[in-house]
Amino acid sequence: MTALACAGLLTATACSGGGSDSGGSSGGPVTVTVMTWESAETNAAIKKALADFKDDNITVQLLDTPAGNFGDKLASLTQAKKLPDLFWCGNDTEQQYTSQGLLVDWADKIKNADGDFTADKFVPSAMENWKTADGQMGGLPSLMNTYGVWYNADAFTAAGLPLPKAGWTWDEMYADAAKLAGKNGAKYGLVADQLTSADGPFTMSMYSVSAGGAPFTDNVNHPTKAEADEKYTEGVEKLVAAIKNGSVAPPGYDAANVQSLFSAGKVPMTFGGQWLAAGFQTDKPKIKYGFAPFPQVQTPTTIADSVGICTPQYTKDQDATFKVLEYINTKVWDAVLPASPVAPPAYTPAQTSYFDALTKAQQTTVVDTVKADLAAEKTVGNRFTTQWAQQVGDLTTANYQPILSGKKPISDLPAYIDKINGLIKQGG
Amino acid sequence: MNSVSLGGSTTKRRSRRGGMSRNAGSDVKAAYLFIAPAVIGFLVFVGYPLIRSFYLALTKYNGLTDPVFVGLGNFRRLFTTDPAFWPALRATGYLVLLYVPLSLILGLALAMFCNQRFAGVRIVRTLAYLPVVLPAVATITLWKFMLDPQVGLLNTILDRLGLPTSLWLQGPSTAMPSVVLVMLWGVGGTMIIFLAALQSVPTELYEAARVDGAGPWSVFFRITLPMISPIVLLQVILQTTAALQTFNQPKILTGGGPGFSTNVLMLSIYNNGFPTLGRIPQLGYASAQVWVLFIIIIAVIALTAKFSSLWTYSDSTSD
Repeated sequence: MTALACAGLLTATACSGGGSDSGGSSGGPVTVTVMTWESAETNAAIKKALADFKDDNITVQLLDTPAGNFGDKLASLTQAKKLPDLFWCGNDTEQQYTSQGLLVDWADKIKNADGDFTADKFVPSAMENWKTADGQMGGLPSLMNTYGVWYNADAFTAAGLPLPKAGWTWDEMYADAAKLAGKNGAKYGLVADQLTSADGPFTMSMYSVSAGGAPFTDNVNHPTKAEADEKYTEGVEKLVAAIKNGSVAPPGYDAANVQSLFSAGKVPMTFGGQWLAAGFQTDKPKIKYGFAPFPQVQTPTTIADSVGICTPQYTKDQDATFKVLEYINTKVWDAVLPASPVAPPAYTPAQTSYFDALTKAQQTTVVDTVKADLAAEKTVGNRFTTQWAQQVGDLTTANYQPILSGKKPISDLPAYIDKINGLIKQGG
Repeated sequence: MNSVSLGGSTTKRRSRRGGMSRNAGSDVKAAYLFIAPAVIGFLVFVGYPLIRSFYLALTKYNGLTDPVFVGLGNFRRLFTTDPAFWPALRATGYLVLLYVPLSLILGLALAMFCNQRFAGVRIVRTLAYLPVVLPAVATITLWKFMLDPQVGLLNTILDRLGLPTSLWLQGPSTAMPSVVLVMLWGVGGTMIIFLAALQSVPTELYEAARVDGAGPWSVFFRITLPMISPIVLLQVILQTTAALQTFNQPKILTGGGPGFSTNVLMLSIYNNGFPTLGRIPQLGYASAQVWVLFIIIIAVIALTAKFSSLWTYSDSTSD
């Protein structure tokens, strides 16, 4: 009964109507509300920076919300039709909400913008990913996520291994992981949640694409097919072998504490995003560490991902909202990133403050890797952004992860791919 | 006989009617006023959601756009194509089978221990009940750290003692027993109800048994257990219902993994209704799952109640 009541109550909110809390009307005084998923400290810095926004008719209000469970908040606010005028959103949220007609399309606005805030000033791959199949942009990318391998330099030196650097190979990575596993309190040589979690099949595309093969899917936003070609299968085989010999953490490994375990020297290598650098500045690891690009087979290949800022259709004054959006992208990062260099802005002129902060903090390997990632010629998406993406996750848990764990044979890979293609066909 | 009976009842009815005539109106109004909050609460928080969730179970609804009626489509998908549903049912069943007997045995054992007379019994009772009043999220999180295979307290102790360590929450076969272990941390709630039941057993029965030379096992199986069997039945129903709706422990400890090993139905419902950031909610589908769970709970309670007369003791003279 409790279960029923809960579900009913949660869904009942859909009945409520309403609109944005923004006051004012077009042409008159207006309040533009902003909601982020940032920490209290970062929000304080954003608030301070937003205080310098000057426009007689526009008041900017940063909503005080705890950082956790942003997805739940977003879902509730969406159902209640109370989304703030500007809210932090992922690429997948932007794609899904835009396809439902929930967001303001900024494509023309940014294309025809005057001055410095123009489409060509953004990282091209991010702008491309934020377009829907019919060319709409339900938001603008704000920060880039780049990924690579965080390594414990002390552990590598102690094991007599060369430090990972651009151009290192997948075989070298697995060989290093095998040598580092089981030493100095480290159970595994490599924790690669991105390879073994529900996003794993997409991450594996880096191997196949780098080897000249095909990615797992042709497009994460509007896919027409999934495939596991010869090169892809080869990549899976190598991962399965590495998991089997205990050098790579298997699916099911709880990566929630991997950052602190890495800092404590108990995880020699871990896949991760550049944002860990900001955390390492405040909670300094006990070890010497570095950040290397993902390994390659032939061609450097990485994961492309960005987060951004979206606006609901019912925002009261689109011009006012766009002005604040422009201010955040062009001015706010300069004020926020020096204290917390969490990610490079998608708006390229604002990237200087990010790289300067990292250089000042002597995080040179992070600077090099992030720059290499942003310039990478070949990129792959890290998950489907479609409405049925959740079902792909379940299929991956049921079919792909058991292959990695060795509970199902690799020959089951085509059957898994067939099921994904069934979903694509159904969803499309 | 019939006429006497009918006549008597008519007389009673008349006299009642006569007695109520002065205050009947105000009494009825007062009665309705007293029950109104409960009725309104039930209608708003249970009745409406119940009807609404049944309607949504027959729709494709993501919370963003209007629901689209799909008939039994959600149920069809649930039983035929969803790779997570049957594992979720299996995980839920496994949890119930593991947790309910263990919680009853442990709760009863603790209650019997706390029912003894010895110095410090009140402290022992307090300690046994303490986990129930502590914030669940905090204690579950603490358990998660303790069960960490690499740096957790349990493996550290086992390792120091030279005993084999375990993957605990991260092993496909050990994850669910580990979740149940954490759930048993709150067994003090079961204990306290058993303790009240044990204290209500007439002491004369024990004295008589002692005079007859009955041993402790005999006393337990022939006096204690039959006398508290109605409470055992209540506990079976309460614990089974609670176990079928387990959410906190798997959500915090494992997120449903590894694989689907601890992905119980309630967690599956939550994940479909409120997926991670960037995924579209499937509220209609989650509502269909809720109804399946609801039917399972009703069926289990009905079966337990139906066969309860086989093993519960009832004092026929008490009526």
